[in-house]
Amino acid sequence: MSFDLITANLRLGLVEFNATFFFQIFNTFVLYLFLRKLLFKPVTELIENREMEIASDIDSAIKKNEEAEELKNEYNQKIKDIENEGKKIIKEAKLIAETEASKIIEKVREDEKEIRVKNQMELEREKVKAINELKDEISNLTIMAASKVIGKNLKLEDHIALIDQFIDEVGDTKWQN
Amino acid sequence: MNEGFGPQKVFEIFGMPITNTVTVTWFIMAIIIGVSYLATKNLKKRASGAQIVTELIVTAINDLTEQTMGKKLKAFSPYIGTLLIFLGIANIAGLFGVRPPTADVNTTISLAIVTFVMIHFFGMKYNGLSYLKGFAEPFVLLLPLNIMGELATPISLGFRLFGNIVGGMIIMNLLYGALANFTPALIGIPFLQAGIPVAFHIYFDLFSGVLQSFIFAMLTMVFISIAVD
Repeated sequence: MSFDLITANLRLGLVEFNATFFFQIFNTFVLYLFLRKLLFKPVTELIENREMEIASDIDSAIKKNEEAEELKNEYNQKIKDIENEGKKIIKEAKLIAETEASKIIEKVREDEKEIRVKNQMELEREKVKAINELKDEISNLTIMAASKVIGKNLKLEDHIALIDQFIDEVGDTKWQN
Repeated sequence: MNEGFGPQKVFEIFGMPITNTVTVTWFIMAIIIGVSYLATKNLKKRASGAQIVTELIVTAINDLTEQTMGKKLKAFSPYIGTLLIFLGIANIAGLFGVRPPTADVNTTISLAIVTFVMIHFFGMKYNGLSYLKGFAEPFVLLLPLNIMGELATPISLGFRLFGNIVGGMIIMNLLYGALANFTPALIGIPFLQAGIPVAFHIYFDLFSGVLQSFIFAMLTMVFISIAVD
């Protein structure tokens, strides 16, 4: 390398090919390598990575949305089912309760009727019993009175038949009143 | 040879002149590499601040490459990005008072030759011998014409860029020279250089520079994808 004042700052021809030609090819190549390594490769990779990431993010977001929608529908369906189930249970329970209630009422009514019938029968029986007792009492009284009047003891069997006949002639209705 | 608008020799390595084209290129390279190192030092998944700008630039270049060359050739994106960023900064270097590296035919033709080599390398890589057969189409007599047409590609590519930038640079130099001569004649204070060149800088450096770097990158993409398809 030499640097002398005589040749320094001399102008070369405007259109003159010289060593600059090769220097410039070399310079361009070096600049290309540097720019590719420093600028284009990292930035392009970064942008591509980011684009891929965004795309996958969007995809997963769409998928999640769909899943959420599905779950929502599922849960809505479940809630509906549960509501229906509840309604059904309530309906059934109501039905059961109603039938039960009517059954009970029926039973009560039947019981009541039965009791009434029983009472009626009891009453009837009591009445018959009372009538019979009265009949006996009257016949005894009549026998006593008759024997006192007649003064002699009649044959018991004949008397009973006589009295019964009498009573029958008087009639049940008269006794009842 | 101290006159004219050629690149200046700064020093020599083994007898090879190192011009200010190369030194300015090194300076621009250092800036680009430094900035991209800082910009990508700690990239985060959640972008914020400068990282958003970095991602925007890279995405724009990736998308441009993919749209122009197709999905198959999107691996060219770093090279196209290198062209766009380097040429974009080199072309507007005139704004910062240095000689644009692209105002040197060595720079533009070297880039055009790289494009030329890529066109035919990838043409053959993807299409094999049928690519070479394509030069004899529609019939063999057109072979020399086709080859000349192919050779014209890097020349037109390189000189289009060179011509635009060097033309702008020469006009700006002439303008500054003219204004420098005008002002003392008026009142002796160099005030004309203050505002007038702005409009010219906007057109020749900013507009033309950005447009030409875009055209160069675009044509590189189109030629390569035509050869590959």
